[in-house]
Amino acid sequence: MGKAKNGYSDLEKRDIFNNEFMVHIDALYNFAFKLTLDEDEAKDLLQDTCMKAFRFIDSFEKGTNAKAWLFRILKNNFINDYRKKSKTPGMVDYQEVETYYNSEDGESPVEITTDLRSETIKGMLGDEITNALNSMDVDFRTVIILCDLEGFKYEEMAKILDIPIGTVRSRLHRARNILKEKLATYAASMGYK
Amino acid sequence: MGVFVRWLQRTFGMAKKTCPVEQECLELLRLMLDEQATEEESKYVHEHIDKCYRCYENYDLENTIREAVKNKVKNLKVPPELVTEIKNKIDL
Ligand SMILES: [Zn+2]
Repeated sequence: MGKAKNGYSDLEKRDIFNNEFMVHIDALYNFAFKLTLDEDEAKDLLQDTCMKAFRFIDSFEKGTNAKAWLFRILKNNFINDYRKKSKTPGMVDYQEVETYYNSEDGESPVEITTDLRSETIKGMLGDEITNALNSMDVDFRTVIILCDLEGFKYEEMAKILDIPIGTVRSRLHRARNILKEKLATYAASMGYK
Repeated sequence: MGVFVRWLQRTFGMAKKTCPVEQECLELLRLMLDEQATEEESKYVHEHIDKCYRCYENYDLENTIREAVKNKVKNLKVPPELVTEIKNKIDL
């Protein structure tokens, strides 16, 4: 969490919270929902995150990357308090997942044999894309959300997730393979061609 | 760019041919689409997909999936009453 070093006055704290944190409230709520896949849990997670952010506001350097700082708190909160009770399919540990995929020469798990065409993707509905994304293991889903939906750079993602940049890169690569596979399977099952 | 080559490849059934550097190219083009590739890496990808239909297809698909995730996945707005609740709790 970093050390409290700034010692802001109450007025400054309010100012930071209202002007630097609140602008990201929708993005935070979205992230919370996409991690928990549950509206009530997302609300609780957001609330907990905001309380923590305010409590530890002294360790936030005014004018720096508030969005990444807040996302990091939310993600840590999620891992500590929500992950265990979460009903999402992604219950596997980071390390376990990485080892599993690394066992195959560090390459993608399976070659994608299904012929997925970009026209097929273009014809898919938002719900279909969302379902494919949500069916992914939460660790892989997270990197896609951070990169594609929130536009974070690898360096920011490394800080949010507490992992080296190289791991961000390889996890994202695997996540994209998995997503592509899910979309291909889904397209095939729906008779898309 | 490379339209003629792609037409040739498609017409003469070379499109399905494998590319020896497909995996490396896929990794690099993903970096490029994430705006994390170096200038050199981007240049390599552009030059390669200009003459390799297989990798061009990968590029096109990657780009499309990314756009679909960005534009089709629904974004939620935080319920206003939750914002009020949070602000009350923090005593703002
Ligand atoms: Zn190629």
